[in-house]
Amino acid sequence: MNSNNGFIGWLLDPKRRGPLLIAPAIFVLLLVNIIPLMWSFGLSFFKFRANKLKAPDFSWFYNYEKVLQKEKIWEALQTTAIIVAGSVGIQMILGFLLALLFAKKFPLRRILLMLILTPMMLSYVAVAIFFKLFYEPEFGLLSQFVQQFTGEMYVLLATPAGALIGVIIADAWQWTPFVMLLVLAGLVSVPKHLYEAAEIDRVSWWRTFTTITFPYVRSLLLLAVLFRTIETFKIFDVVFILTNGGPGTATETIAVLVYRTAFQYFRTSNSAAMGYILLFIVIVLTSLYLYVIKQRDSEEI
Amino acid sequence: MRKRVVGEAGWSHSAIAGAVGFIYFFPVLFIILTAFRNRMDTLATPPKWFFSPTFENFYHIFYRSSSTTSEYISTGFHMYFFNSIYISGMSVILALIIGTLAAYGFSRHPLKGNETYLFIILTTRMLPPIIVIIPIFLIFRLTGLAGSYTGIIMMYTCFNLPFSIWMMKSFFDELNTEIEDAARMDGASERSVFFGICIPQVKAGLAATSVFALILTWNEFLFALLLTNKTTRTMPNAMARTIGGEINVDYGLLAAMICLFLIPIFFVTYALQNQLLRGVTFGTIKK
Amino acid sequence: MIESFKKFLLVALATLMLVFGSSKVAFSKTVEIVMAAPDWPPTRFMQEYFNSSFPQSGDTEIKLTLDFIPWSNFYTNVAASLTSGEQRYSMVVSDSQWLGAFIEGGYFAKLNKYIDADPELQAIFDDMHQGYKEGYTTYPYKSENYYGFPQFPDNYINFYRTDIFCNPDENIAFREKYGYKLPCTYADWETIVWDNVFDINAFLTRKKGEMLAGKPLEDDMFGITYQAGKDYDFSSMQINGFFWQQGGDIWDESNQPNAQAEGVVNSPQNVKAFQQYLDILGTMHPSHKTGGMGIFEMQALYLEGKIAAMINWVGLGAPVVDPNVSKVVDITGYARQPGTMQDDGTISRWANLGGQPFVLTTWMTDDEIDAAFKIIKWWLSYDTQIAAVKAGGQSCMKSIIYSDGYNALAPWNAAYVASMDWQKDVWHVPEFFELLTQQQEEFDKAITGQIGSKEALDAIAAFQQEILEEAGRIE
Repeated sequence: MNSNNGFIGWLLDPKRRGPLLIAPAIFVLLLVNIIPLMWSFGLSFFKFRANKLKAPDFSWFYNYEKVLQKEKIWEALQTTAIIVAGSVGIQMILGFLLALLFAKKFPLRRILLMLILTPMMLSYVAVAIFFKLFYEPEFGLLSQFVQQFTGEMYVLLATPAGALIGVIIADAWQWTPFVMLLVLAGLVSVPKHLYEAAEIDRVSWWRTFTTITFPYVRSLLLLAVLFRTIETFKIFDVVFILTNGGPGTATETIAVLVYRTAFQYFRTSNSAAMGYILLFIVIVLTSLYLYVIKQRDSEEI
Repeated sequence: MRKRVVGEAGWSHSAIAGAVGFIYFFPVLFIILTAFRNRMDTLATPPKWFFSPTFENFYHIFYRSSSTTSEYISTGFHMYFFNSIYISGMSVILALIIGTLAAYGFSRHPLKGNETYLFIILTTRMLPPIIVIIPIFLIFRLTGLAGSYTGIIMMYTCFNLPFSIWMMKSFFDELNTEIEDAARMDGASERSVFFGICIPQVKAGLAATSVFALILTWNEFLFALLLTNKTTRTMPNAMARTIGGEINVDYGLLAAMICLFLIPIFFVTYALQNQLLRGVTFGTIKK
Repeated sequence: MIESFKKFLLVALATLMLVFGSSKVAFSKTVEIVMAAPDWPPTRFMQEYFNSSFPQSGDTEIKLTLDFIPWSNFYTNVAASLTSGEQRYSMVVSDSQWLGAFIEGGYFAKLNKYIDADPELQAIFDDMHQGYKEGYTTYPYKSENYYGFPQFPDNYINFYRTDIFCNPDENIAFREKYGYKLPCTYADWETIVWDNVFDINAFLTRKKGEMLAGKPLEDDMFGITYQAGKDYDFSSMQINGFFWQQGGDIWDESNQPNAQAEGVVNSPQNVKAFQQYLDILGTMHPSHKTGGMGIFEMQALYLEGKIAAMINWVGLGAPVVDPNVSKVVDITGYARQPGTMQDDGTISRWANLGGQPFVLTTWMTDDEIDAAFKIIKWWLSYDTQIAAVKAGGQSCMKSIIYSDGYNALAPWNAAYVASMDWQKDVWHVPEFFELLTQQQEEFDKAITGQIGSKEALDAIAAFQQEILEEAGRIE
């Protein structure tokens, strides 16, 4: 089998296989992601503004205090939470239903599947711009549709609630295919003979679903929730283009706030602190989530 | 009556799926239509569903009218397109390779800090990119990577790693190791176990990961905006050209760009559909 | 043998000299100026015209390369480039409001010493219209520190539908109802004040199917529109004009550190002015309810014929006369925007100026600075400026705008030139973005009906006071 001489041998030794396999990944991540993250993190402990010539002063938790005291960040977090909950919720339900629809083979399936996957392939900017057009009171399809019934232009984005709904719909529309695809990948990996056996045994649809289908899909569904939540927390382009955080600050998500603080106000270290507070929150949520999953996993066994 | 095969359905099912698909696809249809009509038709109230199509928008993608003469100047768009394909393609392939290997490592040779490593990898995706843009910009500048292909490809590979690792690990975890153990006992090397047994079973995972990674990098905007220069600029940048300036969004031009831009992804996804949809019919039993 | 070889060499040498001599061997070196510019026709023109008409002289070749960045990302790109220290750009097209932020960051160069040393530059500076000189080049605002030169000067004018406003039947009906003339010509519009706009909008707001200017309307019609947009500086630009016209003011940068924000920004005149802005807004196209009816949305409405008039930047005028995108090419007139009647019978037309200057950066070499000034002198010369205006640009050089035939170069020039005397600018201080963003948010809340005008201005005044005190600009 393997020659066990010299460095190559040492490298290929079964014990080191694990680290060897993961090393390139860690290396790339370290270089491109982790070092800048550390830099940012460090910066959040200094007072630094990127457009002033002054060198940063070390100031412990000054930035964190300042950020946490400002009402704005709590509002932004709340707004972000609403958008995440709304959008991810819709994606899960709709995605799952769509996946069920496509789990069987039927004529034209491949083409129809592509139709549903297309929204995901569009860029954020494209989606945002065209949804903004759809929501336009004068030119938008939504308003014109409502006008048929009420005769008045419909201005969805005029109210905070309306604006939030507008953002949530645009985002959910774009990413439901993601969930659908993941769930579908799981659904199709269920071995056919299990279904056949269930059919022979005349098992009810619900039982088939919960005992055969769901276990296969579960891990992928959970993965989908995890990733979509993390990504949606960072939502920026759609909000920025669609409503610019308005009306007022009703749809100002944390990412928009961070952008303004970092780039428009040049409160660089302040924005770093904000970012890390967000990171902390997302880490806590994710850990909680993974913990609950593990608990249920062990319960099932 | 035709015997109903498990997992298959007939035309009535197609009809439902068709209706759902059409509704879902409708906004995209709107974009495609917009690409073929001029601005005034797009903004017409009530909406103009029947119009005379024009290729003007597509022409404008490649040629721009000059401010001083009446000639047309090339916009260099074909370069953006090529750049997008090259940069996205490379980074997806790299992320797939590195990520799958790492996922296999995490799954089959778990280390003591496995959970932690995986978690840290996940956290790199949690921050809004704007926070790290300045240090990355600086680092790229210092190492001479700014504006180069290598730099942006590395960046994108890095974006895609967390998802590919988590995704592929999830698929590897589902596999039954008995077959692998049996093969090992028969004297097969690690390499042939990996390539011969594991990989074929996770094709759906590979396909899905590729599609998502491709979509992510294809449409990525912020880092492409700041880390590429004239020669390496990508498509989303070109799209930004249609917004603002003298007129509100040039809907037709943007729509035309979107259509062109969709084509490569469409093909890749369509081609990978087989992997995505074909079930694993090995007869493997879930652990 | 040697003879023929020599001959061959001579011929070869001569050929080489012909080939290379006919190209640029006259230049011993090349200086390249890289300028960050937004991607739109006025800057595209600068690049193309430079390539075709810049008079090279001496033994140094000057190359101007404009790095075109889409408008929507222009600020992000420029900010990232400057703050990261990459020193890529020698010149930058900047918005006047960004001056403070980037000057204090050490990126934009102070030009006084160069101007003082060069009589031609002094002449150019004297030739600039005062309001624009202060707006585009000074930091702090209205001081004598000079930092830039105009790339595209801009201001608000009124674009209106001549087919509606000049229609005889409509005119008769309006006069019957309100007792004065519906403004049709440039001169008519000179007498219009904001109070009249209530009447005009009430008159012109009609539903689909009703008659207007002799034809049944295909869609709902609305009257004069100005902007109400949360993005960037949109609402503020219009509202500032209202403040100034009614005797109020924004925080006065030129009076640091004594000028206050509290009491000034939420003064009774400002509240009254803002309220009037909101009241008139209520008579406009429903799009304003989103709080996102900015300069572009308004333009789209006007181009599609949904509103009778818009008050918008000259810079957005070119599409109005472009038949590919405009339904109102031949039926648009241009006038000054309405003003406010003062107690002494005159009309105040104060407004916030627009447009962009370009600046020099602090890391330029002496060669580059020389080249840059040559470019500037070329850009602001009569021929170039006239060519620019013909291609859709604008000028703010007095010798040019007041010259014969200037108004004929573009249909909106008359209104533009006449409006120039009434331009002021918003603050240039580095805190500009924070002040502006909060102000825009509060304005937006008032525009969308969430809070009242006094509440909004109180919140703005308090915030500005706090930020400016923190920055040491108010004592």
